[in-house]
Formats: sequence, structure tokens, C-alpha cells
Amino acid sequence: MIARLLNRTHTRRELRSPAWFADYSLALAAIAVACVGIAMNYAATWRSLTFDGEDPWTVARRQAIFVGVGVVVMVVAAIIDYRVLRFYATPAYLAVLVALAALLRWGPEIRNARSWFELPFFGFQVQPSEFAKLIVIVSLAAFVANHEGYLRFDTLFNAGLLLIVPMSLIYLQPDLGTMLVFVAVAMGMLLVAGAQLRHIVVITLAGILALVLIFSIDALQGPRLLNETQRNRLTAFLDQDFEPLEASYNLRQSQIAIGAGGIWGQGWKQGTQTNLDLVPEQHNDFIFTALGEEFGLIGGSVLLALYAYMLVRIWQIARSANDPFGRLTAVGVLSMLLFQVFQNVGMTIGIMPITGIPLPLMSHGGSGTVTAFAAVGIVISVGARRYSL
Amino acid sequence: MDETVRRRMAFLGIVIVGLFGALFTRLWYLQVLETEQFSVAAETNQVRIIITPPTRGRILDRHGVVLADNVRTGVVTIDQSSYTEDQFESVFAQLSDLLDVPESQLIQGLADQRTHPLAPKVVATGLDEDGLLRVAERSIPGVEAKWDWVRTYPQQEVAAHIVGYVGAMSERQHRELIDDGYLPYERVGRAGIEGLFEAELHGEPGRTKLEVDRLDRVQRILADVPPQPGNDVVLSIDVELQAAAESYLRQGLIAARKNVSEDSGFFYPALTGAAVVMDARNGDVLAMASHPTYDPNWMVEGLSLAEYQSVFENPYAPGALNNLAVQGLYSPGSVFKPVTALAGLEAGLISPRAAFHDVGYYSIPEVRGCTGRCTFFNADRAALGTLDLSGALTRSSDAYFYKVADDLYWVDGPEQWAIQDMARSLGFGSPTGVQLPFEKSGRIPDGEVKKTLFELSPEAYNPYNEPPRWFPGDNINTGIGQGLVAVTPVQLANAYATIANGGTLFSPNIVEAVVSREAEAFGEAVLEFEPRVLDVVELPEGSAVVREGLSNVTNSRLRGTAAKAFEGYDHAGYRVSGKTGTAQAQGLNAVLRRKKEDTAVFVAWAPTHDPRYVVAVVMEEAGYGGEAAAPVARRIMEAVRAYEQRWPEPQIAFVPPQPECPEVPEALRGDPAFLGYVPEGCPWGIQLPRANTPADADGDGIPDVDEITGAPQSDMPRRRAALRRHQTRRRAVLRRHEVQRRAALRRHEVQRREASS
Repeated sequence: MIARLLNRTHTRRELRSPAWFADYSLALAAIAVACVGIAMNYAATWRSLTFDGEDPWTVARRQAIFVGVGVVVMVVAAIIDYRVLRFYATPAYLAVLVALAALLRWGPEIRNARSWFELPFFGFQVQPSEFAKLIVIVSLAAFVANHEGYLRFDTLFNAGLLLIVPMSLIYLQPDLGTMLVFVAVAMGMLLVAGAQLRHIVVITLAGILALVLIFSIDALQGPRLLNETQRNRLTAFLDQDFEPLEASYNLRQSQIAIGAGGIWGQGWKQGTQTNLDLVPEQHNDFIFTALGEEFGLIGGSVLLALYAYMLVRIWQIARSANDPFGRLTAVGVLSMLLFQVFQNVGMTIGIMPITGIPLPLMSHGGSGTVTAFAAVGIVISVGARRYSL
Repeated sequence: MDETVRRRMAFLGIVIVGLFGALFTRLWYLQVLETEQFSVAAETNQVRIIITPPTRGRILDRHGVVLADNVRTGVVTIDQSSYTEDQFESVFAQLSDLLDVPESQLIQGLADQRTHPLAPKVVATGLDEDGLLRVAERSIPGVEAKWDWVRTYPQQEVAAHIVGYVGAMSERQHRELIDDGYLPYERVGRAGIEGLFEAELHGEPGRTKLEVDRLDRVQRILADVPPQPGNDVVLSIDVELQAAAESYLRQGLIAARKNVSEDSGFFYPALTGAAVVMDARNGDVLAMASHPTYDPNWMVEGLSLAEYQSVFENPYAPGALNNLAVQGLYSPGSVFKPVTALAGLEAGLISPRAAFHDVGYYSIPEVRGCTGRCTFFNADRAALGTLDLSGALTRSSDAYFYKVADDLYWVDGPEQWAIQDMARSLGFGSPTGVQLPFEKSGRIPDGEVKKTLFELSPEAYNPYNEPPRWFPGDNINTGIGQGLVAVTPVQLANAYATIANGGTLFSPNIVEAVVSREAEAFGEAVLEFEPRVLDVVELPEGSAVVREGLSNVTNSRLRGTAAKAFEGYDHAGYRVSGKTGTAQAQGLNAVLRRKKEDTAVFVAWAPTHDPRYVVAVVMEEAGYGGEAAAPVARRIMEAVRAYEQRWPEPQIAFVPPQPECPEVPEALRGDPAFLGYVPEGCPWGIQLPRANTPADADGDGIPDVDEITGAPQSDMPRRRAALRRHQTRRRAVLRRHEVQRRAALRRHEVQRREASS
């Protein structure tokens, strides 16, 4: 229609179905990672489940269901034209704000945080902050797309406001890790959207200053901005020979497990540290340790290569995107995945502080897996429509 | 897409590559470079070792009466690390409700500084099964109710100093013993046999190796070594005799306090003393009393400071923890005179039957030249008249031995130190080696010892700044066991045993054996203490006169110094030889702040002509040996006689070694090929001619190779033969001992007859 208005003939590519240009390899890589995730979910839990007299497949089966749902969501997201999302961005944003706020009031407290809604069926839980990540990416992309290339300070300020509301709600849960994902996403998107370098420098300095303030207020016994666990986890990374309690216990155990894996690993279901449940949260945030121990450097490298392949494809899609909204969405997803992978794997091998961020597509959890698949689906949709009008 | 966006996308790409590079590098570092270190960590990560303490061995007397045992008791422990401060109160409130004891008493247990700070603290003990169940049912976290073994001493004060006690580990022990598998709160032997035989009594702790997961849930038992119980220690003491000795010693001390000292006009303090009963034939210690004493049960659970002070810092029971029989150093006084007499005889300076006129004092002859004190008086300046060696010992003539010591001083040559040499050869001046800790060696003074002491501590030993030369006066004082002579009661008993048995110096044994309690070897001796002969002293000719003199000490007709104490004693049935001693003590009484009263000493053996038991009694600041110590020794001697009747000794009959005859089937008895293997002396055995003897490298009479089958002989017959040889040799040794003993007795008898005729 636009072509007719512009009074020019359609090119061949414009006339092709988007399915012709869709990046199937990206989808396959995501599914491959998810399958590895199911296998590792099983490896991390079968022994203790057997020990407790339960079906060893309990956890892995749940994860497989999540992956199934995720794949469907990915396909649907890839089929839908991403440009439609602009119109749903605002209501979705408001809805997720309501959900996050409701969580603080009515959400049950699980593991010291109000991050989950209990669903009345199947015993599943929903984590709105996971969905919030994707919704905020889309909303932010929609908001900044009009200003691509040169962001004035007021635009930047408004974008900051858009971010700060869900971030604060998530911080209050408290869920420091997910909040940090927002920071990373915002940095990536605003950078590509064309924020001026001086603004970026100023914001970075302000962020550092805020962190220092938080810690010093904490040290001076002021109002508690970080709770005990958060502070310990963040500082355990700095001081790894700290008493092997709580935070640095996790760090030490995960490094032992990965280190003991060696080059070839000890084989699926053979990892002693994994089987004896010595690494806490192993089917969850620390799932990479199971892979590291049982498949060694080879397995770890293959997984990292799959992630890298996904990220590179998303990067290419962002470069070739048809419009700023698509590009920024892809960049947002890229930043999200990059930060989560680096942060999660980094914390298990001791180069990042411990924060509760799941490894996308691997860690056990419905909301996270479905969100990751949806994000990949949206990116595929962006890539498939790079020539369409 | 404008240029800025393009550049920034490129930057984003670089970031991706950089971050993934960092992840891979770190993975490489962990899994390739450091993997060995982590593999080791992974292995230790999952293994827990649980130590089960063994049950401690018991301590028994020579007839099996238990002196130290373990009893089961219910205890409640609290692991402090599982609570915060404010949670304590509710826990204690619950516990005090359950156990019906006040909270303050429970909290006292927490203040226990004697156990490891991280070990669970015992807050209540002595619970019965009901109490344990009541606590266990409630399952309060960190609170554990369990059975525990507690050391107990059923004989209480009896033999307390010998048995010792257990207590919490000291700092140093803690460091050393934890590696040997001790648990931080375990009690270890701190004194006496408990301390000295700790390694034997403790046993081997059990170790269970478990594989656990993060929540310490047991996955697998990798190894399980059960604890090995500690060995029993069998003492050579007899509990009843020990109790008698202790009680007579205590009664003697109390009685002595009713007497008034002629020197000072005060009552004798008579606070401390010691008594030793020894077997003169083999050095076994049958009783060893030390007063004041204590109940080792107090020490097991530990005393509070106030309790400790009231018991162990009581000025009227000083040093209750010390075993004075081996740790107390005393001037022996006149009981040392037989040593001087033997030295004089050895040097040839005494003619035993020569008359000596005791005029009440002895002056160093002027020709010898004398500086300072030249005249030495008898006790009470009594003139005893004409005496020979025997009479000098019987009536304890100081002048006689002043002369002997003075004469010895002026001898030129090695005999000058005859007293010191004789004393040392009788075991004075060095530890006897009895199996008790902290034994003192005592002191036999000579020129060098005096010099060393003067240099070491001039203010204590040389207040008047005399030259550190050995003067005649020094030798004279030494001759009657005064001055710098210091001996322990056990040395006295041991030396008199040597004099009594004709010269065999033993190292006394207070431990007879260490006996296993393991299931397979229950009751087998792990360690046996045979009589330990240190030396055989050649007693000089004329020693019979010394023994004669000692045998008359209890004789009232000959005015022996202990005659009064032995009035009405059954001399005919169980005649006692002995010697009294009244030693001037150096220094001040720490409590009363006046000069110390005399030490009463009495050493004796019985029966006179078949010396079996030696009794030594030392009572500090109790007056005269004949008045204070001799009555105690008499009553102990009567107890010894009762003991002998209670446990009559088996008559040792010599049995010639019998060959062990194998069971040979009747059909084979005439078989010449077989006859060679039947030992000589068996009904169907013959000795093969030497030329036909097959190769027998070990010389046990059994050929190395079976002649018929050609198979090498099994080890068993050889071992049996070795055992047989051993038994034969042992019987021969026993027989030789018995023959020697009887010969010695006969010799003494002859010498005695000669001396009296």
C-alpha cells in the first residue's frame, strides 16, 4: 500500500512472504539450548528426587512442558508482525505495572521475596518480572524509536522515568538481579538509539555514585536499602576466601563443581558434586555448574558457542532491521540475553557477583523460559520482515 | 541507519565478543589449569568422618577389685552455635521445665571453660531414661539428650593418688591429642595411673566415613571402623591393705596432734604423711598411702573455684593432690643409719662386735684438726653406754655413727665417699622407676652436690656464706640422715627391701599388667611387668649384724627405740625388723610460721628371718619416729599379716618340663618313618640318631621338609615347639630364683647364728 502511494513497483524481496527470510537457525539454536537445559535439569535433580522417593523426571518434565509452551509462543511471536506490538505496548506496560504492584500487596512470600503469583492450577507459579523485561523492551523501543539517531536529554529523561517505575517495583520485591537486567537493557538500547556520549557518561557516574551511596548508607547503619543476603552476595564475590557460609559457600561449591569437571567432564548423571546436591539451586540459577561438571570444558564451550551464535544472529538482525523500532527491540533482546548469560555463567565461575538471575532457556522456570522464547520469536519476526513494507 | 547507529552496533558486537572471551578464558582456567586442585576439593567436599570415642579401660587392684570404672549416665547438651542470644532464654525455660531444675543451674553448664569453645556444652547430667526421653521427645533444635560414659571411682579416696583422675584436656594436650582422634570434650587422664597409662586406657576411637550431600544427609557409608575399647590396667596393690594403710596413717597423724613437742611446747601439727607397703621379694607395691587425700570423683565433672579452694587450698590439708610417697622429700634421720653402717663395714672401718662407749656426744679428735662445730651430741644428750654395731642400731646411738662418718671422712681414697656410694647403690638419689608420674629422685649429698647447691641458691642453702667445701660436719650429718639428705618414702621402702632380701635392688612395680578388653582377646595381657631387678648389691660381711640390730629395735628387753610401740605385738608369730627415725626438718612451717617440728619415720620388714613385706611410714612434723610412726607401721604390719592370711600364697613346687605328646593314631605308633617326629620322652617316641637327622635350620627338632611328602613343614609345630622351649626356660628361671632365695635365706640364718653365738 505504501509502495503504491510512493508510486514505485515492488521489489522481489518485498513481495516474498516473510517466512522466506525468517532465521530458522536462530530458532533451532534456541531450541537446542532449551533441550540441553532439560537434560541438565534432569541431571541436577534426579538423585535427590530419587532420594526423596519421588519420580526423578518431575523437574525435567515440568521444564519440558515449559519449553513446549515456549516454542509455541516463539512461533506465534515470529508469525505476528512485530510492528503491531507498538500498539499494544502501552496497555501491556500498564498491565504489567499493575501486576507488579499487586504482587507487592498480595504476592506470597517465597524465599524472602514477593516475586511470584501462585496459579490456582497445576501448582505453577508466574513471575511477572520476567514478562516485564520483554514488555519494557518493547515499550522503550516504541518510545525511543521516533528519536533514533539523536536523543535529547528530555527524551532520555522520559525514557528513564519509563524504566524507573517497574524497576522500583521489582527492587521492592526484592529482586536485585532482574533489576540489573533492566539497567543492562536500557544501556544497550539507549546506546544504539543514539544517546549522546556525555549523557551516557553522566548517567554512568550517577549510577556509580548511587551504588556507593547505597553501600555507605548501609555501612553507616542508615535505613536498610539492601538486605543482608543481597549485601553478602554482592561482596562475597570481592572476597572469595570469606568464611564458607551462605553466599561464598555457593560461589565456592559451584567453582569446585566446575573445576572438578575438567576438559571432558564426568559424564551425564555422573557428577559427584551435582549428584550429592552440594551446589545449591542447581536446577535453577546454578544450572551451568551441572553442565560444567558433567560435560567439562567441551560441554561448556559448546553451550557458550550456541549462545554466541544466537547473539550474533540477533545482532545481524538488528543491523538489517527495517525500522528503528524493530532494531531497538532486537537490541533490547540482545542486551537482555547477553547480560543474563554473562552474569549467570560469570557468577558460577566466579567472575561476577552472585545475583539471582536465571540462565535464559536453561534454568528451570516457566516465566523465564517462555519470555526468552517469546523474545527470540519477536526478533525472528523482526528479521523476517526486514524487507517488507 | 545512520553512521552513529552503525558505529554503536559495531561496539555492541565487540562487547559480545569480549564478554564471551572472558567467560571462555575463565572456564579454561578452572577446568584445565586448576582442575586437579578442584578435583581434590570435590572429593573432600562430600566426605565426613565421624569419630566415636572408645570406652575407657578400667583400673583394677591385684585381685580384680575395680578402682576406676565407667558408668552410663544421661546427659543433655546444648550446641550454642545454633542459637542467637535471645533464643537461649526460651530454650532454657523449656529445659528447666522438663528437667525440673532451676535455669541458673543449667546456665552454669554453659560457662564451662574446660571444653572446646565450639563443642556442645553439657548442661545437665545424671538423667535416667525417662528424663532423656522427655527431652528427646520435645526435639528442641540444638539440644541433644544422649547416654554418655562417665568415669567413676567406686573406692573413692582409697588409692586416689595411685589411680589419679581424668579431667578436661589441657591446652597442650588438646593440640596433640585431637590428631589422635580425641574429641574436644573428652576427658583424659591427668594424674596417677590414669595419666601415665592414658595411651593404654583410652583405646582406639571408631571412625565412620560418610558420604553426605549439602544438607548433611547420609548417602553412603564408605568405611566403618568400630571403636576399640581401652585396656584394663591391673595394679599390684591390694585394696583392703591400701585402705588399712590409709586409715592407719590418718589415725596416726590425728593421734600425733595430741602430743606436745618438747622443743617448742606446741602440739605437733602432723598434717601430712605417707606410707608404703612393698613386697621385698619382687618389688611389688602392695599399698601406697599419702595423706592428705581427695576423692577423684570430684575431679571428673570438675570443681567450681570455691570447691577447689576449700579442698585443695586448705592450709590444714596442704598439697592433697600430691602423692607424697613418691613426691615427698624428707630427711630420713636415723633410718639412714643402716646405710652408714653398711658403708662402714664395706670400708672396713667397723668391727661389728667391737665395743664403743657412747658418752652422749662425739668430738672430732684434735689431731684431725677441726674448724667450727667439733662436738656432736646425741638426741637428748643421752649417754647410752657400751654398745656394738647391733646395739648402736637397736638403741639408735648417734655418737656411734658420728664416729663412723667422721672416720670415713678422713679416709684417703674412694672409701671416703662410702656412705654416698652405699646410699646410691641402695637406690637413693635416683627415681626408683615405679610406674607413677612426677617421681622425685631425692638427694644424696657429697662435695659436688653441696657446691652445686650453694652456687644454685646461696640464700637458701648458704645463708652464712660458708665456703662450699665438704666438711667433716657435713659427712657426720649425712651419716645420720640429716643435713642435705633427702629421700622419698618409696626409696626408703625399696632400700630396706634390698637390705632385707640380701641385696637385690628392684625397681618397684605398682602395675602388674595391662589387659586387653577386645572381644577376641579379652583378658589377655598386652603388657606384663615382670619383677625388674635393677642391681644385685654385694652386701659387705657383717651385714648380718646390721640386720640383727634392726631386728631388736622392737625388742623391749634390749631397749629398742620402737619397743614401746610394739608392746603386746605377736613377736613370735610375725617378728618385725625395723628402724625408727626422728629427723629435724629444715625451714619454717608455712602455715604456723614457726620452725618445723621433727619428721617421724619408721621403716620395717617382716617376718624378720623370711623378709616378705616392707613397710615405710613417714609422718611430717609428728614427733618421734618411735612414738608417732612406729605404731602406724605396727598396725599396717598387722594388716599385712591379715592380708597374707586372706590371700595365702601358693607353694611353688618344681615340676620338671614334660614333653607334649601328640595324639598319634594307634596304627602309626610303630611306624619308623613317623617315630622321628614324636618328642623324646613320649611313650612311643625314640630319638633318631644324629647322622640321620634331616635338615633342620631352625633347630626346633622338626625337619624343615616333610620327609615323606617333601612338603615344607607348616609353621604350627615349630611354633608349638618354640612355646615349649620358652615354657621350659621359664620354669627353670623360676626354679633358679627359688633356689637362690632359699640359699640366701639359709646364708642369713647361718650368719645370724654366728652373730648371736
